[in-house]
Amino acid sequence: MATYHLSEAAVEKLLRPREGFAPVLLSASAGAVWLDEPDAKACLAALSGPRSPANLKGFFLPAAESVARYGAEGGGAATAVETAVATTVLLGVRACELRAKGYLDAVLADGPFADPTYRRRCRSTLLVSCDCVACADSCCCTLVGGQPFATGGYDLNVTALDDGLLVDVASEAGEKWFGEPKAIGAEPALPEHAARRDKQREATGKRLAEQNAAFTFRAVGAKPAPLPDDADAAWQRFAADCVECGACTNICPTCHCFYLYDQVLGAERFERLRNWDSCLLGSYHRMAGGAHMKLTPRPQLRSRLANRVLHKFTYSPQQYGRLGCVGCGRCIDACLGAIDIRQVVQELER
Amino acid sequence: MSAAKPADSYVPQPVKLVEVIDETPTIKTLVVQPARPMPFLAGQFVQLTVPGVGEAPFTPSSSPGRPEKLDVTILKTGAVTDRMHEAQAGATLGLRGPFGKGYPVDKLAGKEVLVVGGGVGLAPLRALILALLEDLSPIKRLSIRYGARCVAELLYRGQYDTWTKRDGKVDFTCTIDNPESGWDGRTGVVTTLLKGLDIDKGNCVAFVCGPSIMLKFTTLALEEEGLRPEQIYLSMNRRMSCGMGLCGRCNIGPYYLCKDGPDMNYAKIKDYPNVF
Repeated sequence: MATYHLSEAAVEKLLRPREGFAPVLLSASAGAVWLDEPDAKACLAALSGPRSPANLKGFFLPAAESVARYGAEGGGAATAVETAVATTVLLGVRACELRAKGYLDAVLADGPFADPTYRRRCRSTLLVSCDCVACADSCCCTLVGGQPFATGGYDLNVTALDDGLLVDVASEAGEKWFGEPKAIGAEPALPEHAARRDKQREATGKRLAEQNAAFTFRAVGAKPAPLPDDADAAWQRFAADCVECGACTNICPTCHCFYLYDQVLGAERFERLRNWDSCLLGSYHRMAGGAHMKLTPRPQLRSRLANRVLHKFTYSPQQYGRLGCVGCGRCIDACLGAIDIRQVVQELER
Repeated sequence: MSAAKPADSYVPQPVKLVEVIDETPTIKTLVVQPARPMPFLAGQFVQLTVPGVGEAPFTPSSSPGRPEKLDVTILKTGAVTDRMHEAQAGATLGLRGPFGKGYPVDKLAGKEVLVVGGGVGLAPLRALILALLEDLSPIKRLSIRYGARCVAELLYRGQYDTWTKRDGKVDFTCTIDNPESGWDGRTGVVTTLLKGLDIDKGNCVAFVCGPSIMLKFTTLALEEEGLRPEQIYLSMNRRMSCGMGLCGRCNIGPYYLCKDGPDMNYAKIKDYPNVF
């Protein structure tokens, strides 16, 4: 559509509260923060910093959410829970997270069965992505076919420059939130703005290449190199450091496993919740049954760890034509046992 | 299979429990009646809810030809199934589904069909048996091999004769694990019934359902008898929550058993880890 340059004063105006929109700033220092007051300085600082530890999926697939009420209410008819949500404007979404969102869409929205609340939340969310001017030490999007800037899938994309913000308006919904450019003092972008943006992108790409120089694997697209199954001894070495806390799956922007949990609300009134779950936990696959039966297909942690990594790098390409890892590096930061997924893939891919 | 309406996908629809049949000391069949008939294919499964307690997946054991009343045969074996065994006729339960692909019944023309069940694993297979008995003309033969722990645990014991007497095409043999007084039938695990099978092995399709260890040894026994992996379908009934390939837990390799199964062709899954 169009690209604009916004001074700090114009950014302040862009962030002014407007009815129907609830902006959330994603920042490395503060996680996800609802912007009740426009704060251009904080916004520009966050947009020029590394990615937030808060991942995007919580906005579409909350950690726990009511999905059904049933029982005596309404003459015994069960109903889906309608979640009221305002248009959430997510500011500072990274390219890796847009790829993760694409993955979640493939799983939760595009198949014959769709998750109803996920779809509803997608419809009421505006994605404002930003170039990664800085990145975390664990960032590794370029190892898995990504780039530190978005090329599509956003409503608006912004680039933090040293004198303000470059804003690429890409969708009608994005245009609606952006409003009349003149009203906020936005100027049409000049070729020199784009040139500075491109230079920044190049610099971040170079930094990513440098910090990941030790990793020679390239997992790209629908046919990455095969990894061995859980019988390989390397899995045991990595599993020895895993404490089954589930941090990696919680913080991963593509991990989407959940279970449905029923609870009693009152006399003959019941509720069903959808809760995040983690494939690394021993209880994850556990079935009912007697002591003489094999109650889980993956009793060993090494098998569960292997299943998680294989799902991302081998099974997802077969299921959805895309990798299940976007190289955001959050699991590397979160792991109590210092398991580095780059190391895992590097060592197992041979 | 038609897609469920998105808004309904997690919502248990109320069903009336119209009859409880005591099958064995550990197994009951709950006959449930949905508000509207629920058409399903043999082998597709449903999620049955005990209100406020939770749900568990079951493949109906009744004929798909009777969508207005579904039999769900349940082994008492955990928190949810314990409560299902306590349920009395007249109670309201919840139902979602049907989910999964169902048995490839339409691919069985001209085939010898071998059904191998272990314990409560005969329940899903009964839907297949009843579906095939509706019209036996397309298939060449239906051989049923069944094993239970003891005489008291032989499921649907009064019905075996009704399956075989309709047509000379159907034969049934069962076994119990250990000898018992008053039992003059076969003893030993179900795989002992598969030695030297009198079937046209090249033209046979086997459907197997039972506990994980029974699936494993039955598969080995069938391969030993000369069946190829493509001829073997296994009921991979694992822990499932959503039933729709969203919640992630029932995978074997890239397959979600809820969506791609629960009956999986062994050739598809055999090279992935943690099959049994």
